[in-house]
Amino acid sequence: MASITAVIPRPTSYAGLWGWITTVDHKRIAVLYGVTAFIFLLIAGAEAGVIRMQLASADNDLIGPGRFNQMFTMHATVMVFMVIMPLSVSFFNFVIPLAIGARDVAFPRLNALSYWIFLFGGILMHMSFVVDQVPDAGWFSYANLTEKPFSVNRGLDYWSISLLVLGTSSVAGALNFVVTIINMRAPGMSMMRMPVFVWMTLITSLLLVLAFPVITVGLIELTMDRNFGTHFFIPAEGGDPVLWQHLFWIFGHPEVYILILPSMGVVSEILPTFSRKPLFGYPFIIFSGIVIGIMGWAVWSHHMFTVGLGPVANSVFTITTMLIAVPTGVKIFNWIGTLWKGALEFTTPMLFALGFVALFIVGGLSGVSHAVSPSDFQQQDTYYIVAHIHYVLFGGSMFGIFAGAYYWYPKITGKMLNETVGKINFWLLFIGMNLTFFPMHFLGMNGMPRRIYTYSAEFGWENLNRIASFGYVVLAIGMLVFMYNVWQSRNSRRVGHDPWDAPGIEWSIASPPPPYNFAEIPQVLGRDHYWIVKENAEAAGTPITEPEALVDPSSIHMPSPSYWPIFTAVGVALIGGGLLSHYALSFVGGVIAFIGVVAWSNEPAAAPPKEHH
Amino acid sequence: MGLSPFRRAGSLSSHSASPSKAFSGRQSRLKSRTVLFGLMAAIFLFATGCSMDGMSTWDALGPVAEKQLELFNVLLWAMVAVFVLVEGVLLYAIIRYRKRPGQPKPPQIHGNTTLEITLTIIPTILVLGLGIWSVFTLFDLEDPPTTGPDALHVNVTAHQWWFEFEYPDTGSGKHIITANELRIPVDRPITLSLESDDVIHSFWVPKLAGKLDMIPTHVNEMWFQADSDKIDEALPVTLFGQCAELCGLAHALMRFRVTVMDQADFDSWAAAYGPPPANTEQAKAGQQLFQQNCTLCHTIDGPDDPALSASRLSGFLTGGDITPVPAPNLTDLRTRQTLAAGITDLTEAHLREWLRNPEDLKPGNYMSSRAVLYQGGNASLSDQEIDQLVAYLLDIR
Repeated sequence: MASITAVIPRPTSYAGLWGWITTVDHKRIAVLYGVTAFIFLLIAGAEAGVIRMQLASADNDLIGPGRFNQMFTMHATVMVFMVIMPLSVSFFNFVIPLAIGARDVAFPRLNALSYWIFLFGGILMHMSFVVDQVPDAGWFSYANLTEKPFSVNRGLDYWSISLLVLGTSSVAGALNFVVTIINMRAPGMSMMRMPVFVWMTLITSLLLVLAFPVITVGLIELTMDRNFGTHFFIPAEGGDPVLWQHLFWIFGHPEVYILILPSMGVVSEILPTFSRKPLFGYPFIIFSGIVIGIMGWAVWSHHMFTVGLGPVANSVFTITTMLIAVPTGVKIFNWIGTLWKGALEFTTPMLFALGFVALFIVGGLSGVSHAVSPSDFQQQDTYYIVAHIHYVLFGGSMFGIFAGAYYWYPKITGKMLNETVGKINFWLLFIGMNLTFFPMHFLGMNGMPRRIYTYSAEFGWENLNRIASFGYVVLAIGMLVFMYNVWQSRNSRRVGHDPWDAPGIEWSIASPPPPYNFAEIPQVLGRDHYWIVKENAEAAGTPITEPEALVDPSSIHMPSPSYWPIFTAVGVALIGGGLLSHYALSFVGGVIAFIGVVAWSNEPAAAPPKEHH
Repeated sequence: MGLSPFRRAGSLSSHSASPSKAFSGRQSRLKSRTVLFGLMAAIFLFATGCSMDGMSTWDALGPVAEKQLELFNVLLWAMVAVFVLVEGVLLYAIIRYRKRPGQPKPPQIHGNTTLEITLTIIPTILVLGLGIWSVFTLFDLEDPPTTGPDALHVNVTAHQWWFEFEYPDTGSGKHIITANELRIPVDRPITLSLESDDVIHSFWVPKLAGKLDMIPTHVNEMWFQADSDKIDEALPVTLFGQCAELCGLAHALMRFRVTVMDQADFDSWAAAYGPPPANTEQAKAGQQLFQQNCTLCHTIDGPDDPALSASRLSGFLTGGDITPVPAPNLTDLRTRQTLAAGITDLTEAHLREWLRNPEDLKPGNYMSSRAVLYQGGNASLSDQEIDQLVAYLLDIR
């Protein structure tokens, strides 16, 4: 067939920068996701630093209200969409195929496309700083503050269009993992033998696929209001600003579980490993995850208790929100049950996992207190809420991510992170986190609203704010220690394939794993497959000391690299970029994306073997 | 001032000590020490962390805030109990089951269905109980009591970035519009209709009631009351309020005051409501300046005319560099305590500062961006003219 692919064959080189750009290997894509998201973490963390400096004293005028509003908007938007979600996706990418005994995800090129769109979407969002028209209406950007004439520069356009671009990445990625997990499990791995992390990834991905269309509708309506004269959210013209809140939170509450379930999965892998015991109540942990995934759709209006929906609506959402605490509590009992009678080893991943449990309890409890709507009327939009979200997102999600980073780092790189430095890292983050966010509970109850750039000394909020700002410094040092730990690991010696004596299948192969992962697809023996394998080998008198032997990679059929994912992603990003600059550019982007998709679908499954030429 | 929320909730604290009974012997001592330590830490934190100042929600001065605080206090002690129990068990497991040298592989327990079901049912009952209690409180607080004195009604309209208070009928038949200071009689329910004419704001006086959003084209109804028996000081007492929903640049500076006064004082304030008399030469000159420069946006001779308000609003929403905007009614400015939506005391010096360049006091305000007077930054008024305006507005004799 005379197509573009006849002119451009699939690339064959895996080396160098070009190898990374054209890669479709889930392990390399995981590294790309992780590094990119970590850079965004540093940016959003610096924004938090500016916020904490401004609030460190009463009547401070370090930065004005305009800059302050930009800082908290970008801090939260970036942390949610460009840090926690992609860091979780980084783990999905690295761990899922290995944990289910597969050689890659179901759609390797789609996986690469998801990454490149994420990268370009993130860059597009940050272009708002270059033109100094930065989004400034908060991460949930309530209409109609986001409408003209209240927001006249293009900041909110950058926000909505970048999120639309990022959304395509998330949905594509999520579909990929749903298909991978359903279809590509190794023989013997029934659904109820899947590791909990795989289960949580499946639930998260299903939530993503269902939730993102809702926010997409809202974002398109907002973009049309701002640019094409519609009035979905403009009250003066018959629109309704409250509609935005419903759309945002119908997406936004499942999104909260999208942010926390992956970390719950990570912790459910780590606690058994270092307790030397199987996970306590595996089916209860799975079912509670499913229940959370379903009930998560029925609680969105608890973000809107003060909107005035009336006592009937508020009652319903009070009860549903109270009930969702139950499956969350079930998970905590089971994690503690896993520790019970175990032989606990306090490695760094274990410390972070225990830190996750300890801090998530606090966030969960404060969550119950604002599920109760009459009490929430006082807490809504105060620092009490800020404290709560940071206990669940920093103490929860981020601690889970750090636990996972320390746990899988030796598998990803073949080298260990230093355990002593890791423990210092943990304690700095644990103490810093509590110093920063615990006082915020009191600030909220003492009446400090969130999103205020200054406050008067007469309200008595200054001392607690100082403690919080000091805590930020401790957190920042903790982050530097983590970076140092990664940097110093380049010199450390290689470790074996199974440094933690772990139960997961991924630990049976070499570290780092070969491109094809498994020379032979394993026959899964049970929930803690590799523990069973090791035990059987020991019983037979031939304990396992080596990973699965490497084989000639050319003997295993793997998809070749491809130019088209990044090519198509450039087109998608240009469509968004054109909407922000010149519509002609959108057209160019559309053409590029179209060519990319056509070429992609005509590409052969692999590069032709060399001897045929 | 006010009652300690901890003392009131104190009877519940026995809950948090009971879990230690589940353990015995040496571990029980360790356990109870942990519980004791946790409780002491919690009490220390509350003692240092809670404030009764300005915006505190701990200091409920009326039935609405009090019921909301009551519910929170119950929750708080339930949370403390669960926190101590669960973190205690977690800590116990961490200490008790740490790996010891030469320890054999621990028993491979996979779960315990009876325990799972028990630990699902108990929290379900707990949260359902709290949920049902909340529902009763919600409906309880929906309307003011029908017995007792008649409610006083106030219409509140939020603007970027100030609050407008309208009393359609103060009881003596007087129609009053004022800004940023809500005066209310003590021991009388106040019903409020909340609306916004631009973006979403939120109305919040923590000592009287939780917040309720102010949304354009939605009218939200709430009520509260200040009880004289909960207020320790002599009346009038001034309470703080603040906008609680991000509403743009000057959101942090959108504050207001609520002055709780005796009915008699309230009546005499209402009776005295009216334009500044302008009975000195200085003030008369100020009045003339005001008529020439300020009346496009500000009303000073009684309640705003609805048609005029509507034209100001449409000017604002249409945008443009120099247009009329809705602005605070200044009829009773001289009787107010604060300036620029409660951000500073109303003194001659502050008013002069404000008139010279409002942007210094309140970044983002529409007076500096939309009024002709301020197009060059500072007011195009001489110091003498500013003195005359101050003399007029504050009725200085």
